[in-house]
Amino acid sequence: MEWWVWPIALFALTFAMGIVAVLAGVGGGVLFVPIVSAFFPFHLDFVRAAGLLLALTAALSAAPSLLRSGLASVRLAMPLTLVSSITSVAGALIGLALPTAALQMALGLAILGIALLLWRSGGSAHPEVRTPDALGVALGMHGVYHDAALGREVEWKVHRTPAGFAAFAGIGVVAGMFGLGAGWANVPALNLLMGVPLKLAVGTSGFLLIGGATSATWVYLQRGAVLPMLVVPSILGAILGAKLGVHLLHGAKPAFIRRVVLTVLVLAGVRAFLKGFGL
Amino acid sequence: MAPIEQEITARWIEIGVRFGFVVLVVTFALYVLGFVEPLVSPPDLVRLWQLPVDRYVAATGAPTGSGWLRLLIKGDYLNLLGVAVFALVALACYARMVPIFLRQGRRTQAIFAALQVLVLLAAAVGVVG
Repeated sequence: MEWWVWPIALFALTFAMGIVAVLAGVGGGVLFVPIVSAFFPFHLDFVRAAGLLLALTAALSAAPSLLRSGLASVRLAMPLTLVSSITSVAGALIGLALPTAALQMALGLAILGIALLLWRSGGSAHPEVRTPDALGVALGMHGVYHDAALGREVEWKVHRTPAGFAAFAGIGVVAGMFGLGAGWANVPALNLLMGVPLKLAVGTSGFLLIGGATSATWVYLQRGAVLPMLVVPSILGAILGAKLGVHLLHGAKPAFIRRVVLTVLVLAGVRAFLKGFGL
Repeated sequence: MAPIEQEITARWIEIGVRFGFVVLVVTFALYVLGFVEPLVSPPDLVRLWQLPVDRYVAATGAPTGSGWLRLLIKGDYLNLLGVAVFALVALACYARMVPIFLRQGRRTQAIFAALQVLVLLAAAVGVVG
């Protein structure tokens, strides 16, 4: 097949993925890596690097409006980002050191786990935090944001901060190892574990992802794993698709699209797992 | 109204992302339209991108570490400028936050921002990995 077919195919796929990701409320990176590694001829090393860059650029594109509206909190994100950006480097190094077959199988299992997490985890709009823990207080992890839907200011604080740090350490390893981004785990960790209101958790998740994805990206770049022929069409397709997705959001049926995405994730996860056995 | 560090970070990210996209699109056009000769030609790439990265590097003589900076005259490596812009945005934002937090007397936050800069800097120059 001619070489130019592949960047065009990648652009088309990531354009569609960008639309679906917005409508289903999932990050593009978590769809990109399993689907592209399962159905395209590129080695997983290059796909993971492209997946990280896809997640990074998507998070960077969304960050300004979230930061200005107060729906992302630097104060909340910063200590957790520090942990996840260190562990995502470790994850990238582990991923690059593992044999491809083992990594394929691990990716398959990770994707199936993520599909399960997305299916099961609901979310609590305003979780109750009776007593903020000492570490969270010391780190200034509390504040107020404006909820436009409620038409009032909402106070927030956190609990279980040490457990939150441990969770984000683990999330960083998985994100760096598989190039998956981390929105799929950031939101439940912030909301269900640490008691951050759901809207603030969703908004902060993207900003939090930037540090981890950046540090792991440098590792892949220095190992020679960033191939522009994969990266550039994918980034452009995903960004343009996401812009269209936002416009389509009003008439969409998110519950149906989410079920389709979960089905695709399960199929791609099974395919990635079987690929690890050479099937 | 968002805190001042968020307003400034938002502005810096916006500028970085716009600049990064322009660089990415222009350099990719130069590469695929054949205006700048690449290290690995696109037809050869089709055969090579199936290899693990270490074998790809061995087969093509592609640079590792910061060696890509010396190959910016090659069409494919020129694209990494745009990638580097995206990967430097966070570092610039956290570096900008340090003096803001210090001025506000928020020493804990200043320390975290400074540590984040060190981690990203270490990753960027290849100290880790």
